[in-house]
Amino acid sequence: MKFKRYLDKFLNLPLRHKFILSFLAVISLGGLLTLTFGTRLEHRTIISLAQAKVQHDLASAWMVYNEKLSDIRDIVRINSSRESVQNSLKTNDRETLLKYLGRVRKEFNLDVLSLTDSQGKIIFRTSQPDLWGDEQDHDPLVLRALKGEIVSSTQIIPREDLVKENKNLAVQAYLDIIPTPKAAPSLKKHEEDGMMLKAAAPLIDEDYRIIGVLYGGILLNRDYEIVDRVKEIVFKGEKYKGREIGTATIFQHDLRISTNVKKENGERAIGTRVSQEVNQAVLKEGKPWIHRAFVVNAWYISAYEPIKNIDGGIIGILYVGMLEKPYIDLRNKVMITFTGIAVLCVIILLVILFFITSTIIRPLQNMVFATNKIARGDMNHKVDISFQDEVGQLAQSFNQMTDALKIANQKLILWGKTLEKRVEERTKELKDMQDSMIQSEKMASLGKIAAGVAHEINNPLTSILINTHLMMEKTSKESPFQENLNMISEETSRCSDIVKGLLEFARQNPPQKSYVDINEIVNTVIGILEKQVTLKNIQIFKKLEKKLPLIGVDASKIKQVFWNLIINAAEAMPQGGTLMISSRLSRSEQFIEVECLDTGVGISDEQKKKLFDPFFTTKGGGTGLGLAVSYGIIEQHHGRIDVKSQLSQGSSFTVSLPVKGT
Amino acid sequence: MMEERMEDMVKRKILVVDDEINVCKSIRQAITKEEYDVDMALSGEEALQMDKEKLYDLVITDLMMPGISGVELLTSIKINRPEVIVILVTGYPTIKTAVQSVKLGAFDYIPKPFTPDELRSLVSRAFREAAGKGIETEKTPSPVIPEGLYLMRGHTWLRKEEEHMATIGIVYDFFKNLERITRIELTPENKTIIQGEVCARITDAEGHIHRIWSPASGRIARINKTIEEDINLLKKDPYGRGWLLQIVAPELEKDIEGLVAS
Repeated sequence: MKFKRYLDKFLNLPLRHKFILSFLAVISLGGLLTLTFGTRLEHRTIISLAQAKVQHDLASAWMVYNEKLSDIRDIVRINSSRESVQNSLKTNDRETLLKYLGRVRKEFNLDVLSLTDSQGKIIFRTSQPDLWGDEQDHDPLVLRALKGEIVSSTQIIPREDLVKENKNLAVQAYLDIIPTPKAAPSLKKHEEDGMMLKAAAPLIDEDYRIIGVLYGGILLNRDYEIVDRVKEIVFKGEKYKGREIGTATIFQHDLRISTNVKKENGERAIGTRVSQEVNQAVLKEGKPWIHRAFVVNAWYISAYEPIKNIDGGIIGILYVGMLEKPYIDLRNKVMITFTGIAVLCVIILLVILFFITSTIIRPLQNMVFATNKIARGDMNHKVDISFQDEVGQLAQSFNQMTDALKIANQKLILWGKTLEKRVEERTKELKDMQDSMIQSEKMASLGKIAAGVAHEINNPLTSILINTHLMMEKTSKESPFQENLNMISEETSRCSDIVKGLLEFARQNPPQKSYVDINEIVNTVIGILEKQVTLKNIQIFKKLEKKLPLIGVDASKIKQVFWNLIINAAEAMPQGGTLMISSRLSRSEQFIEVECLDTGVGISDEQKKKLFDPFFTTKGGGTGLGLAVSYGIIEQHHGRIDVKSQLSQGSSFTVSLPVKGT
Repeated sequence: MMEERMEDMVKRKILVVDDEINVCKSIRQAITKEEYDVDMALSGEEALQMDKEKLYDLVITDLMMPGISGVELLTSIKINRPEVIVILVTGYPTIKTAVQSVKLGAFDYIPKPFTPDELRSLVSRAFREAAGKGIETEKTPSPVIPEGLYLMRGHTWLRKEEEHMATIGIVYDFFKNLERITRIELTPENKTIIQGEVCARITDAEGHIHRIWSPASGRIARINKTIEEDINLLKKDPYGRGWLLQIVAPELEKDIEGLVAS
């Protein structure tokens, strides 16, 4: 749900933001992944390189260490085979031996150089000449030398032995154990034993008899020669931010007895112990341990290997470590560079994106602007076409659409206008049609009744008229009845006239149609009537549309209609006037219209209603049948007569005849 | 006077035919004279039957009757006895038929309703003509009817003038059996007249008023004022200066169909 809401929020953002956010997301993800995996890979590479180096350094350290050991062995071997030493031992000249060997010990900086007899009994110790005659047969090196071997090895020397050799050595070896985090738990508070590089060689006379053993050694506790040499040779004394890059340590068991790892206060960190992890791997399992390790107070990339005594027992550890910090710093530097490049890329990309989206979005924004304008009705607005890409094509199409829309809109407006007009016209037409239908129905029923009544009424009228006259004949001329009879006669005649009128109207033969030119009929009628007295003061204008279609009508009947209309028009203008006769095709092209327009007295609305009724006349002498008959004729032709009039302005009669006769 | 005496001896036999008894009676009363023997028939069939027995001189018949119509009666009688005078009584709707029936041999027709005088004038004119026909010699021979005229026989003529105009006059024969004409009354200008209806009335010396039927329908454009001054022109120059009216006739061709060309 929440995700969907965010998605919606995102989708509603402006296009540019969407673009940029999407790109940004992709870049960030890519960058992050690259950074993560890259740095890890880089880290691993750097670390493994460092580890390889440290391994190599450890080998170098061993070389230094073993060189020292072999130095001691050489000193012991050379001096044991010296003739003067053997002669002095045979002669038991302790003075000379002590003098000579004492000088050798000092010369080669040995801590111990002692001589035993063939039984392993101390003849003298150069470091403590006063103490002699005790057995040295518990010393494995001496024992092996008594058997004729020249041996050298690192050995743990118990305190009592150290004391025997020299009290100072015991003091040198003594170390308070400093509690160290991560070290294996131990109850030991101090270390009294010492660890020594030691060598022993037999003294063999001319008869190949072993006459004694010379042994010597260097106490490693608090002796920093080896470790400092390692530092110098391997790491060339390089420092990183005040710290030694390379360190070396010799452990007696898990205790640092000789090291150049410094404590916070700058002192050598002797008396501290190795971590339990290393303890386990190297001391217990006898395996080398190469790893990142926290040494005293900093991380080191370190290598540990066990130091073994002559019997192969593990008695200590040789350690070489490189400060991890330079590598970490290197790694961080790479990472920062990496990140920097990534960020720079993102920024460059954003700038590029900004321009690209601008080029995409600006036309779109223009289009949106244009759409809004058009929506508000401004059809003249055009979108600029900047490029011929998809957006450009869209803009082009958009402009075309706008043009089409404009035209359609104009058409619509125009259509709306004409529609209004058409509705008006049509409404009027309908009304007229309705009026004319009422009229025609009225006429039809009237005609039927008229025909029937007229015929039937003639017979009684005949009887009445004849008998009235017969009575008049039989009555004397002076009789007062004469007047009454005369009146009857006159009224009977009048009845007869009325009946005649009715019949004239009712008597309408079916039209005999032929195809004629309406204009020709109009011309004929006008031609005849022009010469008439009635039309003397009247100006006649013709406006006949040429090329009207021929239509099927009863020419003589239609002639009669125009005749009646023109006569009527003329009679409406007793003082003279203008008569305009025009013909045209109706708008629908379904009718031919002939209009007869006069400038006469006009027709009142009241009169208009009865205009086509038989016997309706406004003239003194008219029969009142002219228009009724005309109406009937046009009706027979399925046409119409429309009247428009204004009092004292004039009237217009329009005859509409269908082009296609039904 | 001699003629009249001769007529005294033989009474004229007249048959009145109409499907309405009142009309029949009225007509009979109107024309009853001592010298006339007037019978009545109420249908065409009855009339034919009676004519076989009595051989009438004059038959006055209604045009529209159930069964045998007036025109059928006319033709039936005339086939055997062409000398019989037939006068058709017509209602207004059948006036065209009446005009055409003159072509078929009817002496004349009379539209309903009419006065006794109008009928009497017609009857008397009919008998005079019948009598006249019997007289071999005339004082003056009838003038020849010019060609190109259309005739309503025994009544009027019509001459086509320029398009749709027509001149109307009275044929000479109409006057032949009449006394001197004393008066003529023309329908005034601009009035519309209809074929078969009255377009003029003439009065003879005896006071009989004769109605002149128009040969065509139209609007009167001009009347001959000369004849009102010199009435004798009617008989003297019936086809020339004695013309009556000029009409504008929109349906001239149709009207001519009911006429006989000279």
